[in-house]
Amino acid sequence: MEGLEWEDASGELSDEEIYLEDDDDNEDLLNLSGHSKKLQFRRDASKAIWNEDMGMAEVIEKKGKMWITVGIVRGGKTYCSIEETIFLAEVGALHLMDTNNVQFSLQRMYEKISEEKNGCGWELFEVYRHLKSLGYIVGRHGVPWTMKGLKGENNSSASQTNLDNNHNAVEGGSKDVCSITELLGSLQIGGMKPVFDVYLPNSKFRKYSPGQPNFLLCLIRDNMPPSRVKIEALESLCDGIPVKCCHVEHGRVSFFTMKKAELPVLP
Amino acid sequence: MAPRWKGRTAEAKALADPISKIVSDLQSSLLQSEAHASLSGSSALLPVEPQHAEILTRACFGRPIITADKVNQWFQLSLEEAFYLSHHLGCLKITHHQGTTCSIAELWQYMKSKIANFPHYYKAYSHLRTKNWVVRPGSQYGVDFVAYRHHPSLVHSEYAVIVLSEGGSSSDDGVDGRLMVWSDLYCTIRLCGSVAKTLLVLTVNKNGHGTVSPTTLDGYSVEERSIRRWSAEQNREDQVAAANGTK
Repeated sequence: MEGLEWEDASGELSDEEIYLEDDDDNEDLLNLSGHSKKLQFRRDASKAIWNEDMGMAEVIEKKGKMWITVGIVRGGKTYCSIEETIFLAEVGALHLMDTNNVQFSLQRMYEKISEEKNGCGWELFEVYRHLKSLGYIVGRHGVPWTMKGLKGENNSSASQTNLDNNHNAVEGGSKDVCSITELLGSLQIGGMKPVFDVYLPNSKFRKYSPGQPNFLLCLIRDNMPPSRVKIEALESLCDGIPVKCCHVEHGRVSFFTMKKAELPVLP
Repeated sequence: MAPRWKGRTAEAKALADPISKIVSDLQSSLLQSEAHASLSGSSALLPVEPQHAEILTRACFGRPIITADKVNQWFQLSLEEAFYLSHHLGCLKITHHQGTTCSIAELWQYMKSKIANFPHYYKAYSHLRTKNWVVRPGSQYGVDFVAYRHHPSLVHSEYAVIVLSEGGSSSDDGVDGRLMVWSDLYCTIRLCGSVAKTLLVLTVNKNGHGTVSPTTLDGYSVEERSIRRWSAEQNREDQVAAANGTK
């Protein structure tokens, strides 16, 4: 082969570096000045009441179309998680009241999330906010958007029974409260488990038929990147749905895919 | 990431000239010329007659040492390369500086004395080489190896490789020290991205073996994982790729 000059005399490989535009410094500047996102503050705010037992806010008045992709439906009512609540409150789209009809200040909401009682702490909220601001649809993993009209693979008589059971469960509100609290609480903040189901921005999203998430999300809170063993354990919880890991540091949310590679045997 | 071939004809040239054949030709060539390399520090110095030099370069083993020697062309092999040629391909004899040929066991001990965790690096190196990937040192990029689909003159390297270990009977898991903190992962991925390579983590599992010898190296296993950054901003539209989990 002619011209096999792949190393010059000093032994340096000539693989060029691609200098990508360094917009990270600009981003930092924007973060400092608080103009990094174009938030649209709404004029008509929805209204919700915080339910301490459930760890969720019950929506009393809905304004705007965001409710198509926010909040879970139980017994005809909509409830939002703490991350959904704070997200909407931050942009002025939701007024949160307590049981004495006193409005929650943002401060009080931030205090609530720092308690980390309802399966979501500050970092996970930052992840939620990051994705929601970009238009993704984000739900808690393992918490169905709605119980009504769940499409199953049962035959008609069995599904009718299921619907009846759901109906009863839904009407018996306290049963549902318990199950939700269980679900929310079981999302331990530590340990590598999928915490969010994430869907790409989609105007056709419907809670009664959300379809399979585009990916599941796991927040890593360890001080070090996950070992192979931990990643495999996480994947086994995901039923074949792609999973991404994310890490939050100083307000920066970073996502990683850590998939098995299996390089081909070359000819 | 698709392979970045250098020029329009590169891919065809690579297909016409498979690495497996080149390496097998190298094996014959070195055997025929009774090649000997001598250990020197963490390298093995190999003189070859000019007619055999080309195949060594085509197979991407070693680095040429430019000398005025008219009889031989000199190459400098890394310890992994030397051991691979000597033990795996069986086509190279390796000698001490005094000139006596080393046994495989002696060679193994020597290399372990020069490179801590040599068995892991060698296992990772041979894992990729036996799949016919071209494996070169990665220190320029702050990683252990870089892996090319074919000769570097034809293609850019796709993978920047870091070797990690686990599953040892002693307490030296992860003692290699890489990717033990987040800042290292961020740094390594950023560097890989700036040179258009994907970070490939090869985890060498000792499977309970303690001290291992070249013959029991088969007891180690290698798991490959690629780690990539994913940008939420850039991937909103890309429904198909996201659904396939390819991004």
